[in-house]
Amino acid sequence: MKNNFRTKVLPVFAAALLPAGAATAQSAAAASSGIFTELFASTTLIATAILALAAVIAITQLLNSVVKVQQLKIYQAHGIEAYLEEVKKEEGSLWERLIKRWTKAVPVGKEQDVLLDHNYDGIRELDNSLPPWWVALFYVTIGFSLIYMTYYHFTGAGPSSKEEYEYQMAKAEEAKEAYLARQANKVDENTVTILEDEKELALGKAVYDANCVACHGMAGEGGVGPNMTDDYWIHGGSVKDVFKIIKNGVLEKGMQAWGNQLRPADMQRVASYILVKLHGTNPPNAKEPQGQLYQPEASQEQPAEAPGGSETQGN
Amino acid sequence: MAQVDKFQYDNDIVRKFLIASVVFGIIGMIVGLWVALQLIWPDLNFGIPFTTFGRIRPLHTNAVIFAFVGNGIFMGVYYSLPRLLKTPMWSKALSNFHFWGWQAIILAAAVTLPLGITSAHEYAELEWPIDLAIAVVWIAFGLNMFMTILKRREQHLYVAIWFYIATWVTVTMLHVGNNIEVPVSLWKSYPVAAGVQDALIQWWYGHNAVAFFLTTPYLGLMYYFMPKAANRPVYSYRLSIIHFWALIFIYIWAGPHHLLYTSLPDWAQSLGTVFSVMLIAPSWGGMLNGLLTLRGAWDRVRQDPVLKFLVVAITAYGMATFEGPMLSVKSVNAISHYTDWTIGHVHVGALGWNGFLTFGIMYWLIPRMYRTKLYSTQLANTHFWIGTLGILFYAIPMYWSGWTQALMWKQFTPDGYLKYANFLETVTQLRWFYIARALGGLMFLSGVFIMAYNLIKTARAGSFLAHEDAEAPPLAAHVTHKGEYWHKWIERRPVPFLLVSLVAVVIGGIIEIFPMALIKSNVPKIESVAPYTPLELEGRDIYIREGCMGCHSQMVRPFRSETERYGEYSKSGEYIYDRPFLWGSKRTGPDLHREGRGNKNSKSDAWHYNHMVVPQTMSPGSIMPAYPWLAKNELNTSRTADKIKVLKMLGTPYPQGYEQIAVQDLQKQAAQIAESMRKDGVQDDKLEQREIVALVAYLQRLGTDIIPKARAESK
Repeated sequence: MKNNFRTKVLPVFAAALLPAGAATAQSAAAASSGIFTELFASTTLIATAILALAAVIAITQLLNSVVKVQQLKIYQAHGIEAYLEEVKKEEGSLWERLIKRWTKAVPVGKEQDVLLDHNYDGIRELDNSLPPWWVALFYVTIGFSLIYMTYYHFTGAGPSSKEEYEYQMAKAEEAKEAYLARQANKVDENTVTILEDEKELALGKAVYDANCVACHGMAGEGGVGPNMTDDYWIHGGSVKDVFKIIKNGVLEKGMQAWGNQLRPADMQRVASYILVKLHGTNPPNAKEPQGQLYQPEASQEQPAEAPGGSETQGN
Repeated sequence: MAQVDKFQYDNDIVRKFLIASVVFGIIGMIVGLWVALQLIWPDLNFGIPFTTFGRIRPLHTNAVIFAFVGNGIFMGVYYSLPRLLKTPMWSKALSNFHFWGWQAIILAAAVTLPLGITSAHEYAELEWPIDLAIAVVWIAFGLNMFMTILKRREQHLYVAIWFYIATWVTVTMLHVGNNIEVPVSLWKSYPVAAGVQDALIQWWYGHNAVAFFLTTPYLGLMYYFMPKAANRPVYSYRLSIIHFWALIFIYIWAGPHHLLYTSLPDWAQSLGTVFSVMLIAPSWGGMLNGLLTLRGAWDRVRQDPVLKFLVVAITAYGMATFEGPMLSVKSVNAISHYTDWTIGHVHVGALGWNGFLTFGIMYWLIPRMYRTKLYSTQLANTHFWIGTLGILFYAIPMYWSGWTQALMWKQFTPDGYLKYANFLETVTQLRWFYIARALGGLMFLSGVFIMAYNLIKTARAGSFLAHEDAEAPPLAAHVTHKGEYWHKWIERRPVPFLLVSLVAVVIGGIIEIFPMALIKSNVPKIESVAPYTPLELEGRDIYIREGCMGCHSQMVRPFRSETERYGEYSKSGEYIYDRPFLWGSKRTGPDLHREGRGNKNSKSDAWHYNHMVVPQTMSPGSIMPAYPWLAKNELNTSRTADKIKVLKMLGTPYPQGYEQIAVQDLQKQAAQIAESMRKDGVQDDKLEQREIVALVAYLQRLGTDIIPKARAESK
């Protein structure tokens, strides 16, 4: 009786604990702004499973003492024979008894008792009981599943993938705002100016070399993308124009938006590098000019090339 | 004593399948090593289309699954089934038809896959004529098996046979279900289901190919060869009943765990998660029954290489079947999916469970069939250790690589930028892991060579017993014993057994797939989504031919780290004209669903041209192979009209009679793209006729339907 009670009821306890842990893990994952939180969430899940198992063992022990009290009562009411009948103390160390209780395996020496009478090409079968720990595990997973489906679908209490995403984005936005409020670096296309400092321009060159050369060429001569060295600009040649194009791209024409890869300061540096260091040079293999002649209000330079002035193109 | 029937077991067919399994195992693993090396040195395709990663990666998976493991299954079944039933196989002719038919199919796969003939469904890549051939051979196998069962001299079916029956009936169902397609030509077809539905059916199939081709038949083999090799009774008959029925019933439902956080509706994803979690116990039931059968024989594991292989195989099975459910928990899957973690996981199963079980059985079978002792126990032990180390050298770098890349994908700076905004950085980081993995694969493969040598030497020393004499009393009328297990009833009735197991495996699929196909709200319609233009459609078929989906997903998941990197997350309504779906399962390269013109990462046509011809010019350090042939091949438009016709029949809303002007439209669009490429420096007089123009048209279309502006401009 008591063993039955344990194997059948206890898993339900554990089942109730597990999904709670899973739920915490899920919402933690939703809340995460960094990978470590997400990793943490999944470890939480596993940790919860272990905790649940520990809880099962603890509750077993607790129930054991309740059983002991019951046995004592039997002794008081019905005398020593009834008591001994009830107790039938198990032998072996605590570990052995635990193993025995959770596996219910018939020892190898006594397996004749559970050997089934058929024989398939010499293969015999024993009829050992289902290991109680295995049965418990099965019940725990079934309980987990029921509660999981209830939490996420039947009650709607759990967030959908979409809600998880929206929550995650809102959190991240908050964290970013809070961080940026403490930073001075807030240049945008309306406030950007040309940097003349050589150090800044060198940083700009690094950004250019890492991201822009594939399309605009090592020397800004153009290729897949337009030439940067002439005075003709498709979308305007002021630093504000260039900054804006870098940030938002020209998506229909294949200039990608760098705004979420490059920081504003870096976009300012690379725009400056283009306008100060590349513009006005005359590199070999320059692509023919595209767009309109752009003349800044205070330009001292003459256009390096006229439209169609260059015969060479490509890379 | 009543009369005794005398008969003979056919060992010849067992030997045939055994040899085929070893030969194709070696070939499949060599191809695996080759694709692994291509991830380190992409030039190892030698510049040939037929040997490029995208085409030979499916060759590797098909060879090891269907040729190595497939022949391994048949080897074990043809040995154990007659012995468990005390009768020879029903038809020797059918056995041989099965053998040669299966090898012919493998050969057909080995030819068509490198040619780029593929349906794009993972592990079901073969095109429709081969699918039909598979069905014929599979039915021949089933017929032979069932007739043997019906002619048996053993009252009850042993648990191994339950697994064989469930395998047969489920694989039949899956193979038919996932290959419902309409042919365009002899080597091209489109699936009837599109987009999300196609994805769900594919992973219902894909997951259960693992379950019912790599798992259940091997559990059957384990139930025969483990007690045989250990000479011990099976631990628990009761456990085998419960875990068998629970396993086959629950497994079918778990497919959607391959699609977590995709556009598949949440309810189906959750079913995938919970049924995967519920699979732990039924899977472990098999492991327990295998390992506990060794009780009282553990001392022999030290001496007997067969037992060593079996123990590691079953342990690997236990690990993989615990890891699988963990990977199906959404928060873990958010990290593991699309990375090498999955690759590590499947190889623990494939190398450990399938590989080692197969080897153990072969070491057991050959000395018996050749009536001699194994040539060298020493060599078998060497194989065991080099193989075990090979598995570790393979799996550990893959886990590490998967975690590394997932962390890099998801890392943000405090000011809200992706720390590794360039996808390539997260790939070049993995080089050393790939080198270590290739080394692990090489070790495992060397072990197989050692085994082949050992087995050949053993065979040379012995003499082959082609026909093994046996005897058994004929089947007596059954007398029901009082108090017998309820399950004994069905164990005497093969046909009801078949039907009940069919019902068990049908339920999960029906409940998941039918609502997806029938209830409209599961795939919310997006008005702006339109069918592909003929040029884009041809480009898409080139994308499929080249196996691009082997390395590129088309599914932006609803994570901040993905929408920041790629753009808006993918919606199910965007895929309604995708036949087949191309969501992919691994990102060796970046996701491409927001690659099209007008998205934030969009590139110009010329960029794509240069990138396809020599990827490293536009993306220095890239491990993508070069596709120069796309810039040389002329686009074949002879089937364009037929393709449009078939798609129209399947429900794609092309206008009435559109197939007649499709090629005209195609040429118009090709001319536009060619012009844009020329403007940016591409030099080729016949550019508008090249395949590359079609592919670029397709790439520029990807994920653009929900940007109204871009659609308007491209029209």
